[in-house]
Amino acid sequence: MHSKHLVVLLAYNEEACIAETISEVRRVVPGVDVLVVDDGSADATAVMARRAGAVVVSHPFNLGVAAGEATGLLFAERHGYAALVRIDGDGQHDPAFIAPLLARVDDGADLVIGSRFAGLQSFRSTGLRRFGNQFLARLLTTLCKRPVTDPTSGFRGFSARAIAFFGETHPHDYPEPESILMAARQGFRIDEVPVQMRPRRTGTSSLTPWRSAFYMIKVSFALLLERVRTT
Amino acid sequence: MNLSRSSFVVLAFAAVFALAVLLTARRMRTTERHTFTWLAVCFVIAALAVWRHAIDEIAAAMGIFYPPSALFFGALAVLLWLVYRVTLTVAEQRQQLKRLAQEVALLSAEHPREDASSR
Repeated sequence: MHSKHLVVLLAYNEEACIAETISEVRRVVPGVDVLVVDDGSADATAVMARRAGAVVVSHPFNLGVAAGEATGLLFAERHGYAALVRIDGDGQHDPAFIAPLLARVDDGADLVIGSRFAGLQSFRSTGLRRFGNQFLARLLTTLCKRPVTDPTSGFRGFSARAIAFFGETHPHDYPEPESILMAARQGFRIDEVPVQMRPRRTGTSSLTPWRSAFYMIKVSFALLLERVRTT
Repeated sequence: MNLSRSSFVVLAFAAVFALAVLLTARRMRTTERHTFTWLAVCFVIAALAVWRHAIDEIAAAMGIFYPPSALFFGALAVLLWLVYRVTLTVAEQRQQLKRLAQEVALLSAEHPREDASSR
């Protein structure tokens, strides 16, 4: 018999910090099941996660963050979890906010976004990334007809209904912003919970200013495309 | 029928291309559908080589003053369509590959390996 709540950690070459992140999740939210989606790591991420007591699913090669989230949702769907919270394995997402996200899902929300811009002061990202985030937030607010303050947050909670839907129909490329619009089109209840971001414990971000700008353009196009899709 | 040397060159090209397509199909390295498409392309090339004024008549029918432009337009349109079909196939196979990898990953949770690295 497993818990009804699942915490999914997405990890790619995080052997240095994955065990610590798992321990912190277990300490802060005891009683939840922990799943690590190892996205084709070349290091010992899967071994370290398994030793730390997590269930590990390993992609045979790197599939990207969207597929990682989808694998976590598929796992939750097949094992009948009532709620899922996805966080990053690099320690940027503070596990202290998992409980408020799960509480909001238990309260009836289908998709809960852990927002860095909903009141709490967070680790400050670059100006260009903040501008991109604000631009996408305005676009999504217009398209969804509801306020969205943090469209690129990967700190998110899913209800059983959202798990079933996104387990089968998941965005291909930009899971965070696209799934918010998909959820809105499905009539799902979308809530936001203020969260704090921490600096990553290991590694560096792959997003350069040029990539950030290009990401913003591609996501905007993907959102407009999603708006006219048939399903 | 009066065939020029250039017609023979193009006919030879079409024949060699068709032979290559058939040999590839014989080794089962392509599907019947793609084989049919490429043989049809060979047939059109051969037909244009034999019917030498076809391009002039097609261009006139399309209202194109310079006949080679009609040839370029036709070739480009066919190639664009073929490339577009290939991108659709690549996208579909990318999805299938992703799903297959996810199923393998889910199975890996049921049968974990305890070796030193994840590879």
